[in-house]
Amino acid sequence: MGDRRRSRRLAAGLVATGLAFGTAACGAGSDSAGGDPNTLEVWTRSNPDPAATYERVFAAFTKKTGIRIDYQPVINFDQQLQSRASTKDLPDVMINDTALMGSYQSQGLLKVVDPDSIAGHGQITAQSWSSTVGIDGRHYGIPYSRQAQTLMIRKDWLAKLGLKAPTTWQEMLSVAKAFATRDPDGDGKADTYGMVVPGSAQNGYAAWWGASFLWQGGAKIVEPDGKGTYRAAMDSAAAVDTVTWMKDNLFCGDNAVTQPGALTAVTSTATNFQDGNAGMYLTGPYNIATFDQTLGKDKYEVVPAPAGPAGGDVLADGENIYFGARTGKTKQEQALAAFLVSPEGQKLAMTGENQPVVRIPVNSTLDAATVRDDPRWSVVQKAYEDASQQFPNAPDFAPIKQDTADSLNAIFTYCGSDVRSQLGELNETLDGDLKDQDLLK
Amino acid sequence: MSAPVIDPVRTTVPQPTARRSGKAQRTTPARFDTALGWNDRPGTAWGLRILLCAIALAVFAAPFVAILSGAFTKNASGSSLSFLPHDSTLLNFTVAGERGIWDYFANSLVIAGGGLLLQLVVCTLAAYALARHRFRGQALILTLFMLTMMLPEEVIAIPLSLVLGDVPVVHLDLKGTVWGVILPLGAWGFSVMMLTEFMKDIPDEIEEAARLDGVGELRMLWQIVLPLCKPALGVAGVLGFIMIWDQYLLPLIAAKDPTDYTVTVALSILRTDPEVGSGVVLAGAVIALVPSLIVYLLLQRSLVTGIAAGATKG
Amino acid sequence: MTATVTTPAARGGRVLTKKSVVPWLFLAPGLLLALVFKFWPMAKGVWLSFFDVRPFLGDKWTGLDNYTRVLTDHRFQDAIGHTLVLGIGQSLGAILLGFVLALLLEGQARSLKIVRTAVFLPAVTATAVVGELWRLMYYPTSDGLLNSGLHFLGLGPVQFLDNPGIALWSTMAMGIWIWAPYNMVIIMAGLAGVDRSLYEAAAMDGVSLWQRLRYVTLPAIRPALGIVLTLAAIRGLRVFTEVYVLTGGGPAGSTEVWMTRAYTLGFTRNDIGGASAASVVLLCVTLLLTVTVNHFRKRGDVR
Repeated sequence: MGDRRRSRRLAAGLVATGLAFGTAACGAGSDSAGGDPNTLEVWTRSNPDPAATYERVFAAFTKKTGIRIDYQPVINFDQQLQSRASTKDLPDVMINDTALMGSYQSQGLLKVVDPDSIAGHGQITAQSWSSTVGIDGRHYGIPYSRQAQTLMIRKDWLAKLGLKAPTTWQEMLSVAKAFATRDPDGDGKADTYGMVVPGSAQNGYAAWWGASFLWQGGAKIVEPDGKGTYRAAMDSAAAVDTVTWMKDNLFCGDNAVTQPGALTAVTSTATNFQDGNAGMYLTGPYNIATFDQTLGKDKYEVVPAPAGPAGGDVLADGENIYFGARTGKTKQEQALAAFLVSPEGQKLAMTGENQPVVRIPVNSTLDAATVRDDPRWSVVQKAYEDASQQFPNAPDFAPIKQDTADSLNAIFTYCGSDVRSQLGELNETLDGDLKDQDLLK
Repeated sequence: MSAPVIDPVRTTVPQPTARRSGKAQRTTPARFDTALGWNDRPGTAWGLRILLCAIALAVFAAPFVAILSGAFTKNASGSSLSFLPHDSTLLNFTVAGERGIWDYFANSLVIAGGGLLLQLVVCTLAAYALARHRFRGQALILTLFMLTMMLPEEVIAIPLSLVLGDVPVVHLDLKGTVWGVILPLGAWGFSVMMLTEFMKDIPDEIEEAARLDGVGELRMLWQIVLPLCKPALGVAGVLGFIMIWDQYLLPLIAAKDPTDYTVTVALSILRTDPEVGSGVVLAGAVIALVPSLIVYLLLQRSLVTGIAAGATKG
Repeated sequence: MTATVTTPAARGGRVLTKKSVVPWLFLAPGLLLALVFKFWPMAKGVWLSFFDVRPFLGDKWTGLDNYTRVLTDHRFQDAIGHTLVLGIGQSLGAILLGFVLALLLEGQARSLKIVRTAVFLPAVTATAVVGELWRLMYYPTSDGLLNSGLHFLGLGPVQFLDNPGIALWSTMAMGIWIWAPYNMVIIMAGLAGVDRSLYEAAAMDGVSLWQRLRYVTLPAIRPALGIVLTLAAIRGLRVFTEVYVLTGGGPAGSTEVWMTRAYTLGFTRNDIGGASAASVVLLCVTLLLTVTVNHFRKRGDVR
């Protein structure tokens, strides 16, 4: 008898649990942390060190306006964002790469921004503002920090070999070969390389690094046609010439021009410049602090990137401030953005004992070199202002970048490849990507 | 000689477990102690064994000497990796410590300890049911447990993150708590599968004998079945600890802020941190592998200590 | 009370007896945890594979669209070959090597304990770290660890990870290195349970070592071997972390496996529906494989 009762209870329990799961699972929706109108939830993708800088900036903001900041330095940014998006509860403010704007906007995650609503918007240049325009012509982000690539080069090696910093592709090549063959570190061993290249296809690095060369060769990856649509442009003569030049001279010719394993290296593994066995590195300015520490200020210098046939344009990128859609805290978000782009906010983010989070300030009243008391930064600022191009901000550029990286990586790996036909295939793939986004002309 | 397939489980009569005390109570000579019949006497077999062991050491352990040396080297990198540190320094460990590795380490300890306990309890109970009872749906349940191991983590990551934020029925938010990491790991298909296999191997006669004595289910499990499964428990313990210790995606999903991270997450942060060299990452790796090693050492005995020769398992 | 377990069916009962409820009680905690934290998210994941996943805007039903896209994508198709080669090669290599190691290092001696602990080190180290280590060891010039060893033997430096023809095998080597000690541990547990008196009996019958191994040891460790084989079936095709940390799928996609492709799809291209579809395909194949392995195990079971 007791058995039957017990077993019935068990069965009932199981059924009830099953039902409860079913209903409860549908009604789920976490209690949002953003109930308080006077608190903003801010996300950045930051390691602990730069996170400390952000905390200082936000503390100053809270002191000034009384609006509290719930700051989350998120490492697993995209995944967390997706799961928050599922619960329709987005963070109020996000600071992340410029290149992500297209992706976020197409997912509906961003609020439209009216530049006039941000106090002090006039201090941001038109060039910077234009980089936050989405597909429909409206702004979806506020510029926060910018940077452009410049060439870091070992000036002690140049001095030893009696060379000058290169200003053209050809000069760059001969300097690289000299670094690789003429023992610039004087240790009697053939252990030096010309140039560091993060050439892996992983995360699109090959395209990120190679973009500067494409711009300098007069090529573009995708081109807007002025009517809101785009078309792939990697089959142009300029693109074919540029990629062929890169393949023949950097990867398939003299092997010591680039570091070993260049085609499988990402930036965190391509440490040869700071390790002291490569002479040149075309990269962003965030490495300056690291290089100062590992190499020493006196050993290297920052110069503009060598120019190609069509000029010296390099890749520019940076971070934007994004407002989460439908958070209902527009006024507070605008106040934060205004503070972040103000001279005070930008200076706080550029200085201090932790890693700075603003490289080139978007606030045009500030000069990076003056704020940091370091003239090398003016090279970077000049490069950004006068000779740089960003990836197109309106499309979701991630798949385009990835496909381009895959193709470039394959071309450089298989030295016998036919550049023209491979770029032709890439173009078809890119057209497909654009079509998926309804952006194909 | 025609070789009948000897069923090692059925041919002898059950006997009470002999108490082992090191080598003293051996009932069979040394050369029957192992499958290949190694013995301690010097000779070609012994020499061959030494050589093979040396090769095994070189292949499996030598890279760790490289890790150790890299952890103590000032500017470790691919081109300078070797077996002896040059520029030896404790700097890498200091830097790792500055980055909070010890706090993450503590998190990992709590999660792995608690998680292993939960896992062993849950999986032993489940395995006992699957191995020693007959009921409808048995094969299906086992397959279901194995199914949990088949789906890649990344795919269930986002739905799991939602569940952790709002557990069905009880509406708990497990994020930021150790339970958020421990509970999803409780039912590990591998543990269930392995314990079931080893429990199945126990001869029915023992169980029948115990039941005749009126032993209830829990006592049966605790006093009869489990002691006979020591090797399996050892494996489940070691591999379970390691599995939990090595979790990366789950602590990341369940964390509310960076103080909740475990040491594996910390390692990947170190790896992508541009200011930190390979040396610091290797130092972090050394710190991270010590607990698993200790657990292995502690459980090694149960891993290789068979039930006494000539006893029940046969 | 009978000494043998009888099934409710045998007794013809519709009644839930104490006997038949008990196993479910024991299974309850495990099933509950698995249900909430594994099956429910898994079902959600499978569900998502039929949608164009847009978490904020609302998912759009696309039926089998994701599946078609994934199965006709030539990069996924290339990945199938790599996955099979890597999965099978790694699994078999690790099982074989694990078995050899277990046989070699079986025993109580102190020195053996030390060797076993040292050999087990790959299994206790986080995969990401192992990947980092091997990446450093595989350094392509003659300064690299492995290359300097080859140099010592008079062989030229090998581009382990940069040569598209070799990269897959380099990854497989690392995979075997990680999993062999793991298998060793499981097989040793099996070896520990073999009745020593059988060895004695075999010796008395004049059986050679090789025959003893084949006819006594192997059948005795069938459960352990079954486990490693099943594990190999489950994990083999799922191979991801090793490739991801070592090569990221490169160079030029020569080490791209199914899950690295799915990962790229999901997190670089934000196509979660597609990634889910790819994972479900893998799930089905793995399920099929596991069921097949189990089937053959049961067929070969003496019991």
